[in-house]
Amino acid sequence: MNTNLVDVKGVTKDFHNGKITVNALRGLDLVIHEGDFLAIVGPSGSGKTTLLNLIGALDVASSGDISIFGHDLMAMSRKQRAELRLTSLGFVFQAYNLIPVLTALENVKFVLELQGVDGGRHERAMSILEDLSLGELANRRPNEMSGGQQQRVAVARAIVARPRLVLADEPTANLDSENSEALLVMMRELRDKHGMTFVFSTHDPLVMAHATRVVTLLDGRVVSDETKNAGDAAGSAN
Amino acid sequence: MLSLSTLRIAWRNLGRNLKRTLLVAGAIAIGQFAFLGTSALMHGYGEQFFNSATGPMLGHAQVHAYDWRDDRSMDLTLDDVDGLLADIRSDPNVMNASARIYAPVMAALTEDGFMGVVVGVDPVTESHKAGLLPVDGMGDLLGEHRIMVGAGFAERHDLKPGMEIAVIGQDIDGSIASDLYIVRDVMWSAVEIIHGLGIVMSLDDAQELLMMPGQAHEIVIHTSDRELIDETVVRLSQLPSLADLEILSWDELAPFVVTMATMVDWFAYIVLIVVFIAAAASVANTMLMSTFERTHEFGMLLSLGCSPGRLSMMIAIEAAILGLLGVAIGTAVGIAFVAATSESGLNYAALGGSDEYEVAFQGMQFSLLIYPKIYAKDIVIAVSAILATSLIAVVWPIMRIVRLRPVEAMRS
Ligand SMILES: Nc1ncnc2c1ncn2[C@@H]1O[C@H](COP(=O)(O)OP(=O)(O)OP(=O)(O)O)[C@@H](O)[C@H]1O
Ligand SMILES: [Mg+2]
Repeated sequence: MNTNLVDVKGVTKDFHNGKITVNALRGLDLVIHEGDFLAIVGPSGSGKTTLLNLIGALDVASSGDISIFGHDLMAMSRKQRAELRLTSLGFVFQAYNLIPVLTALENVKFVLELQGVDGGRHERAMSILEDLSLGELANRRPNEMSGGQQQRVAVARAIVARPRLVLADEPTANLDSENSEALLVMMRELRDKHGMTFVFSTHDPLVMAHATRVVTLLDGRVVSDETKNAGDAAGSAN
Repeated sequence: MLSLSTLRIAWRNLGRNLKRTLLVAGAIAIGQFAFLGTSALMHGYGEQFFNSATGPMLGHAQVHAYDWRDDRSMDLTLDDVDGLLADIRSDPNVMNASARIYAPVMAALTEDGFMGVVVGVDPVTESHKAGLLPVDGMGDLLGEHRIMVGAGFAERHDLKPGMEIAVIGQDIDGSIASDLYIVRDVMWSAVEIIHGLGIVMSLDDAQELLMMPGQAHEIVIHTSDRELIDETVVRLSQLPSLADLEILSWDELAPFVVTMATMVDWFAYIVLIVVFIAAAASVANTMLMSTFERTHEFGMLLSLGCSPGRLSMMIAIEAAILGLLGVAIGTAVGIAFVAATSESGLNYAALGGSDEYEVAFQGMQFSLLIYPKIYAKDIVIAVSAILATSLIAVVWPIMRIVRLRPVEAMRS
């Protein structure tokens, strides 16, 4: 389980706002391994979201190299990147994650439809929801669910197409600790059972507690990278 | 890209801000109703205008001797009228052809003398809805020196049924012509000349009085369909018996009627254009607002890998549904309006505070009752125009979406 899923080498990212240039990432190196349950932490403005966006092929680095599943991300066209997101990556965002006019089930099905999956969408979506004990929420719209329920449906949607890598930017930021715990346990099980890889950006100690590895950023660089022993991670300990 | 879920999302998005959606759909509906109502009134008006203009007096076409229209001189006659009528009636498009005689005369009742106009009509062929004797049984009253007089004429000179009047005029040779006639009845007619001056007698009596055996001044023709008038006139003009005569269609006889009819058409088009500009503005405004509000959501969808094309399709469908919703409501109300008024007619004299139903002008009778009419063509034009307008209105919001970068959209 030590394959390099993502390889970030010497990546910089500059934002230009009029005359001001912000160097959000300043020569960042990071390798993500298959099966990592990785928390990226660091003070506000340290570059966590920027890094996730680059890995998620949502944005383009100013310099450096990113390879993902062995493909050179920098060489991909906008369309190829969209394709990569669609087929191999799952996203969970901080909030407003779901399409508000669709039910939980329809939200999950929609991703399958975007991917061009033809038959059995309903069954596949329903079985994911049931696997995650969300069957009862199937016909509810986002505004009829709690924040925690919405985030769990968002995870269902992110993993329904079995992506190799799920990226989550502060997924617990709007949740209380109980809901955060439930969400993390669910993702941890997916990782343990299916070998999926999860990368979070977070300020939440709970996420760090569940993580198998914690990478700390400061001013756009990695300043520490700790891999815990199996027993240290909360998910396995409990 | 046009999948069920795209449709579903578009439809439900309209329900998200129901008040705004209903407001815009309502505005479009009012516009559509205004257009359909206007064009239904215009069609009804145009039809009624045509019927009035061409009605009893003008007909669809007329035959005269050259110069008769300018001179109205008694001796500019049509000869062998029966032969001419037979030729004209043999044309399959001709529904009705009637000969008429007009002659200014003096009439006398005891010592009083007054001006009148003898109108010689064929009691049989004028007895139809668009003829000069539209009421059943009118024709039977004429003949053998029995006449009818116009109501206005009768009132002015105190003429009553049963009275005998003397009619004195000039025959076509210039000699004095005179005879006695019994007033059989007083006749209501919207034709000005009959109402105010008419001494209506049978064609035979008029021919006898004026020494015009087998002759007349005018033949009035009605065809079976308005659309057939022009071709019929062309064909009739080629008849050898009409070679030296003038045959003119109604629009040549009364050009101002045509001008008015065209103006009426333009009015409906102007309403249409105003409606579409209003529809475009409200759809564009709504879609722009609702896409701005959803920028974050679009960013999320793009992040998932949804293509900009699919997003654009979603917006376009939303706009189209919005436009069609409005147009459907407006059309339903418009059809209901026409259904409610097309039978009984709409009295627009009442709008002006009068209860008269008819006015007369230059010998033509104009009813103030309009029977609104809707054509499928109008609905098709309006629906496609509003659909097109809604889609054009959405070009700007779509251009914005296509340029959207997922990360930036998510940040907003
Ligand atoms: N689109 C942008 N335009 C300009 N500056 C940006 C943009 N995105 C990020 N930045 C800047 O880059 C730096 C890194 O931002 P980033 O969002 O990656 O931080 P973060 O670690 O995720 O912070 P937080 O914990 O608050 O989410 C910040 O200084 C931020 O202001
Ligand atoms: Mg962030």
